[in-house]
Amino acid sequence: MNELEDMVPSHDAPVDPSRRRLLAGLLTAYTASLIPWALAQPAPHADRGAFTALSAILVGRQVLDATQTSRLYDALVADDAHFPADAQALLTLINQRQIAPQQLQNVLDTEHSPLAPLPRKIVGAWYLGVVGSDEAARCIDYETALNAVVVADVLKPPTYAYGTYGSWTNKPI
Amino acid sequence: MSEQLSADIVVIGSGIVGSLAARRLALQGASVLILEAGPRLDRDRVVAAFRNSPIKGNWMAPYPPSPWAPHPIYVPKDNGYLKQAGPYPYPAEYIRAVGGTTWHWAAQAWRLVPNDVRIKSLYGVGVDWPLTYEELDPWYQEAEELIGVAGAPDTGSPRTQPFPMEPVAEPWSMRRFRERLAPTYAVVANTVARNSRSYGGRPACVGNNSCQPICPVNAQYTGETAIAAAEAAGARLIANAVVYRIEHDAKGRIAAVHYFDPDKGTHRVTGKTFILAANGIESPKLLLLSASDKYPNGLANSSDMVGRHLMDHPSTSLTFYADEELWLGRGPQSPSSINTLRDGAFRSQHAPYRLDFTNISQVLSVTQDLIKEGVYGAEFDKQLRWRAARQVNVKNVLEVLPDPDNRITLSSEKDAMGIPKPEAHYSIGDYTRRAADVSKADFARIAELMGGTGLRYSADGNFANNQHITGTMSMGNDPKSSVVDGFGRTHDHENLFICSTGVMPTAATMNSTLTGIALALRTAEHILPKPAGVHAAISNAEREASLS
Repeated sequence: MNELEDMVPSHDAPVDPSRRRLLAGLLTAYTASLIPWALAQPAPHADRGAFTALSAILVGRQVLDATQTSRLYDALVADDAHFPADAQALLTLINQRQIAPQQLQNVLDTEHSPLAPLPRKIVGAWYLGVVGSDEAARCIDYETALNAVVVADVLKPPTYAYGTYGSWTNKPI
Repeated sequence: MSEQLSADIVVIGSGIVGSLAARRLALQGASVLILEAGPRLDRDRVVAAFRNSPIKGNWMAPYPPSPWAPHPIYVPKDNGYLKQAGPYPYPAEYIRAVGGTTWHWAAQAWRLVPNDVRIKSLYGVGVDWPLTYEELDPWYQEAEELIGVAGAPDTGSPRTQPFPMEPVAEPWSMRRFRERLAPTYAVVANTVARNSRSYGGRPACVGNNSCQPICPVNAQYTGETAIAAAEAAGARLIANAVVYRIEHDAKGRIAAVHYFDPDKGTHRVTGKTFILAANGIESPKLLLLSASDKYPNGLANSSDMVGRHLMDHPSTSLTFYADEELWLGRGPQSPSSINTLRDGAFRSQHAPYRLDFTNISQVLSVTQDLIKEGVYGAEFDKQLRWRAARQVNVKNVLEVLPDPDNRITLSSEKDAMGIPKPEAHYSIGDYTRRAADVSKADFARIAELMGGTGLRYSADGNFANNQHITGTMSMGNDPKSSVVDGFGRTHDHENLFICSTGVMPTAATMNSTLTGIALALRTAEHILPKPAGVHAAISNAEREASLS
């Protein structure tokens, strides 16, 4: 763990060192290499920390909005009480076996893992802003869902005005 | 003691068609009472409901049905309102609310092409209409001026007066289709009730790309504007009035209609003339519900044609990646199409069709695909941008022929008010299926011209529905084979008229709303003619006064 702690960038905002260690402690050298920034992130508790780390790995981000992380986590837990334990288990699996994000679903499906639905839940929450399925589905984010953010230089989320009349006639980029 | 309700004209249904007929009659000085089963809606709340919806691909989600006036909902699960008798599903969507289903249309406001009304004579299929295209022309014009239609001249529908507005500015994506498909295919601007400039007190489009399910800025004409215009003209609206019976007198004239309020209190409304304008499913349902000893098969149904000849527009489609970045989602949703296949000698063999390009943002569907595929990590963003920039879709809009076995009947199941639910009996005939097969060659050619890869055809035999409900109360000259005459008057009841896309005897290849409005305006003129010397078209002053 000391080795990992040494990777924490020293210029980050000051956080409680004990909490910082909490999130860093969830990672191995392999996962830390995917999301080195996460080592410096505070996490109120290990479950949230695991969700933060998993989210970062699955959505390929070096930065995640803390408020959005919190809201999605709370919604996922409200949807499924086993979510925290499952998230911890999935992170452990990735840590131990060094599974690349692109291989993850295939591995879980091939092994008929009970964790197989979990990545889609997390990625769906971040990219669609939706947690839960069917009648239990809830919209948590829309304008800040990652699928809107990723294309924000070209498109507005539907219902938001693109621009003045005719502004869409130009070449997009 | 409930109020005694009476009017010269009683209109059942406050959708775009009924409201514009009501408006015209109110402007003529008639007292007009409009009964709407559903509640009033608020545009801003609909916008918020969409933004907060977890199922944004489902355009009914922002329009939950009221308990007393249910409408069909299929996602996340079927609410079982429109019963399906088969053999092919007919999952029609419509909105029972003040303003009706055009709250969430795409505002395509097409005219027929002239031969659409003579397909029996010309091609030996379907039926002829009891009127000509030329007779419809001035009523189309009046409708287009009322609702503010923007269009291009080269769509196959001749006109004697110019469009009220220039075509809506062409999105980059559609420009590229037009340029790259020429000269093989002519891609033209769709004819739409969407403002390309300020018109009728409403602003020009600003490209919110949510025409379906809701235009937040009211640049797209909807039934909300129509009912407001009717009320401004003096018509009275009663919302949440669920009409469950039409009452006739001993001579067969309509004497009254009866409605439930949401607490199931009953009310009786008398009138001199009645207009049924409750869409192509609820209207025949109400006629069948109103059976009596004198009319055991329901009202207006001596021909047994009420509810029969149910038609819509099935579609098959091709989705693919173009070889350049087009970024659908900039500008309105339905800007352009190919109109050269809407008529021709081939109509004796297979259905005609329009080919329609979507400009709906692909971000949602691409995101869902990537999640389904299990794409994670940095690759997700990369794929999302690549696909959202290039994914395009073309669909056909196929004519179906009137078939008496395709019909709306009363289900044995009842809704919460104790009113029988409608039941759909539907199939898609070989005439339409052959056209779907033929159009696959067009799809392939279009993809080729766009450098398409990743071609995904809709599954063979799998048709999407377009919610263009037609035919169930067809017009015709023969009372034995039709429900209303060429002016929308029921053959069986002198003072009962029908204003609806349901009176269209054939479905042709265009969205049916504009034709429904034009026919309704013609019906209104027939009920209460304008004084001699007053041109049929609405003057600018009249329009601005009534719509502002």
